[in-house]
This record gives sequence, structure tokens and C-alpha cells, in this order.
Amino acid sequence: MNSIEVEHLTKKFGDFIAVNDISFQVREGEIFGFLGANGAGKTTAIKMMSGLLQPTSGTAMVAGYNVVTQSKLIKRNIGYMSQRFSLYNDLTVFENMQLFGTIYKIPRRELKERIMDSLARLDMTKQANLLVNSIPLGWKQKLAFATAILHKPKIVFLDEPTSGVDPIVRREFWNLIYETASTGVTILVTTHYMDEAEYCHRISIMADGVIRLLGTPDELKKQVGVNTINDVFVEYVKH
Amino acid sequence: MRTILILIKKEFLQVFRNPLLLSILIVAPMVQFMIFPFCADYEIKVLDIAFIDHDGSSVSKDIINSFNASDIFVSHGIIHNKKEADKMLQHDKVDIIVEFPSHFEQDLMNGDATRIAITANAINTTKAGIGVGYTQEIIGGYMQQFQEKHMFVTEEEQIPSRLNLSYIYWYNEQMNYKNLIVPGILVILVTLIGCYVTALNLVREKEIGTIEQVNVTPIRRWQFLIGKMIPFWILGMAEFILGIFIMKIVFGITVQGSFPMLLGITAIYLFVMLGLGFFISSVSENQLQAMFIVLFLFIIFVLLSGLFTPTEGMPQWAHHINWLNPMSFYMTVIKKVVLKGSAFISVQKETLILSIMAVLVNTGAILSYQEKSK
Repeated sequence: MNSIEVEHLTKKFGDFIAVNDISFQVREGEIFGFLGANGAGKTTAIKMMSGLLQPTSGTAMVAGYNVVTQSKLIKRNIGYMSQRFSLYNDLTVFENMQLFGTIYKIPRRELKERIMDSLARLDMTKQANLLVNSIPLGWKQKLAFATAILHKPKIVFLDEPTSGVDPIVRREFWNLIYETASTGVTILVTTHYMDEAEYCHRISIMADGVIRLLGTPDELKKQVGVNTINDVFVEYVKH
Repeated sequence: MRTILILIKKEFLQVFRNPLLLSILIVAPMVQFMIFPFCADYEIKVLDIAFIDHDGSSVSKDIINSFNASDIFVSHGIIHNKKEADKMLQHDKVDIIVEFPSHFEQDLMNGDATRIAITANAINTTKAGIGVGYTQEIIGGYMQQFQEKHMFVTEEEQIPSRLNLSYIYWYNEQMNYKNLIVPGILVILVTLIGCYVTALNLVREKEIGTIEQVNVTPIRRWQFLIGKMIPFWILGMAEFILGIFIMKIVFGITVQGSFPMLLGITAIYLFVMLGLGFFISSVSENQLQAMFIVLFLFIIFVLLSGLFTPTEGMPQWAHHINWLNPMSFYMTVIKKVVLKGSAFISVQKETLILSIMAVLVNTGAILSYQEKSK
């Protein structure tokens, strides 16, 4: 079953076409890599899929809901982690999770359990009452991910979740992603790290608002005739 | 409901963890109340005066002596030429110069026309106006005595003596400007908390990106705005009550009218200012822009509100603009309720207008915020 179905999605800002008629499907439980150079239109596409931005034309079904007409229902069923760290730095780890958990209407007692569980999984139980601005970036990113999946969404959008993070935390982060996907959650992730792209089930490469390539990492390497996704990327984005 | 409560909690946590904001909230009213009323004081206590005496007669000397006898004037003696007098005026050494022409006494005795020149430093127009008034009064008083003594006129013939007006200033009997300025500062305080702090708050979330994480949740816009409005409304009311206390303790000014009514109208006024703050926040891209817009509006509001200058003296167009100035209505309410002890009936027009403004501004804020996030 597909959890994301994008059809002819387009977004224009004035004369500039940020996303130009893209179409693709993502299956339930899949880790879908969304690759592309800076300014290729990845973030704009994600914002449209998560109901933050209205498309100029085209449509998308996300978790079974239409992005144009049912954005409220979509928001209830997705998790989103933005490119910029966007939890409250002047709240503690626990307070941030409590705030967002409450906004998603998780019952009070259950919320506390879920927060403690997820902090235990992140190995951050001791940091629960620290202000977010006092913890290192890698931990912040893991916290942002945990917060984004606290309400058990069907789909999680991760916009460059590992940029600026050290290799060890990146590895841990991908373990979290795998763990989450194994429970049937669909993950759509953008990244600039080509080794991370190899971890994805399928990847798409965007340039100038258009999807140039789409397939499993092995398919793409074979198709382009190179050995790494890095080479695929360079080959395709330079045109 | 739970959503709004957690948002209120979040906002309070953030305010109390922001040492700068907290100190602004507590220190600003203190400082404003302690310093401002003493500086923005139009009361004239001392006037420096000097004389140019071309006559040197006993009459001119008598007049100079009667200035020396007054409490308000501090005499800087007789100056010999005009140039020096001008210099003294320029350097702010004196406020008033009185010049007696030559043959002053002689002309006076002969009944000929003569003229005393009063020059006032009008950099401070209020001071100049009041100073010239006092000067005229002293000279006029002397002239009346002089007429009676030297002109041998009978009672009937006597030129009708100058009308002695006696003033009673109601509601501010000692003409104490603190009574006007202090309630005005209360207005500025409530306005600043309401408008400034909220205008910066929402736009800050835009700037640091936290609003994106909120926008992606199923939260409704109005819920988010109310979750921000209530904490700042509570802070504003607390500031107001703090201000009333300082007003009582430091200046001995008590609210003459009904305190609950004053609180009620303040609550409405705060909603106008909060709404305006959020409106500015949602149309601004960053804190700098928001700050400039607030400053721009704030100066217009203050100047038109009648705090520093009486609204009666303003041209007609300014009166028309004042219909859009919530501060001027609130200022009227404060003056009436705090100083006069007016009942609701005399501020019901202002209350109604402020209520309408509150509804309009807040509707505008919610709509523009929705528009922006599409």
C-alpha cells in the first residue's frame, strides 16, 4: 500500500518554479531518500506534502488524505523535522516533548510514559530536565526526531536531519530511523550525505524542481554505470 | 483547552527564563515612574531674570526691587548693554530680561506713553509663557500702586484696575504636573507591555524557526494566538497593578474612581494593544522590522494622546486621526477615573470604542496570521 502518492505537484513563487510537475509513490514502511542539490526544490516539496504550503497545481495523497483539502488531517498523521533545529531552546527536553505531545492530544498519563520510554531509548533520561540549548547538537537532533514521532505518526518527513552532526551520532540516528521504519512508519528523508543515501530503500534525485532519477540505490548505480551513489549524484545534478 | 493551557505554561516558562525580558518587565516601570515624573515637569519654580535700566530712576529701581521680593524670580542684577543681555539669554543664564527705556519715570509722571520691554527665552515655550505672565503681573501690580500714589486721581476717575483673576484648578489643585504625568506613565507602561513585548514575541519564533514546528502540528491558529495572548495579558495586568501601587506609595496618588472598573477598561485596552502587537508581528519578517513599526506607531500614539500636550490645542485633522488612536481614549479614561473619580457613564463612550477596536484588531491579527502561513 502506498502512504504517499504525489501527482503532478507544482509550486511557483512568482515566475520561479520551485517544484515542477513531480510525481512519485512511497510505500508504507519504506525509507525514501529525497536527494538533490541545494535549491533543487526538496524542502518546498516536503512542505507541500506536510500541509505547510499549498501547491500551485497538482495534488498529493499523504496517509490517505488530500494535501489540498485535508491538510488538518494530514498534520495529525505526520511527523516533521525541519532543516533548522526548531524545538524551543529555552524549554527543557521534557517540556518540549510535553508541549508537542499535548498539542497532538496524547492523554496526559500516556504522554508521560511515552516521553520517558523514548528518552530511555535515546539514552537521555538524565538530560530530561536540562534546557535544550545546553545539550550538544547531535543530541538535539535525536531529540527532535523523538519529538516528531512521539504521537506515532504514519509518515515522518526528515529534512536534512543529520547535517552538522558527527559520524557516530549519524550512525545512531540512522539506527533510530531503521527502528522506526520497522514498525511500519514511512520515512521520507533528505540528505546531502551520499553514504546515507545508500541506506535508503529507494532514492530520487531532484534538480531544478524536477525528479531526474528514481529507484533503489543499486538500480541507479547500474543505470548510470558507476560504483557509488555519490557518482550518480554528481553525474546527474551537473546536467 | 488542554492545548491552550500548555501553550500558556510554555509562554510563562519562557518569560521567566528570559532574564532580559524579566528585568525589562520589572525594572522598566520602576525606572519610568521614578525618573520620568520628575523630569517631565512643567511646573515653573525658578525664573532667572536680569534688567537693563536706561533710566536709573527711583521708579525703575522700585520695580526691580519688587522682583527681588518675589519667590519665583532670581535676579541677576542690572546689565549695562543689550549685547551682554543677549548673550545671557543665549547661554541660558537668564529666562527673562526687562528693559526700562530712558526717561521712563519722567514720561510716566507726565502721563506720556512709555514702554517696558520684556524679552523671554522661548526655547521652553511653557516656561517663557508663564514667565512673561508673572513678569506682567508684578509690573502691573506695581503700576497700580504707582497710579494710586502719584496721579492724584479720584476714586471715580481711576482707570478700572486690572481685573484680578483668581484661578482654582480642579482635580489638580496644586497644579501639580505629577498628577497628570504619573497616570500618563501608567498608560505608556501598559501600552509598551501590550504592544512591544508581543510584537517581538511572535516574530521571534519566526526568526528562530520554532514556529515551523508548531505550524506542522494540527494546532489551530487562534489557539496558538490565544495561548500567547493570555500570558501577556496577565503580565500586562500585573504591571498595571504594580504601577498603581507605585503611584500610591511614591506619589500619593490614589484612584479616585472605581478600581474594578479601571481594571476592566484596562483589560480591554490591553487586548487592543496585544492584538496590535500580534498584527505587527505577523506582517513583519524579523524583530527589527517589528520594533520599527511599534516605535513609529508608539510615538504617534503618545504625541496625539494628550499626555504631553493638551488635545484641545491640536488642529482638527489631528482630532480626526485621534479616532484611530486607542491610547488617547485610554488616556481620557485614566485621567477621568484616576484623577476625577468619574463614574462609568462618563467613560462609556471610550469603553465602547476601545471594545470595538479590540474586536477589530484581534480579528485582523488572526486573519493576517492565517494569511501569512499559507
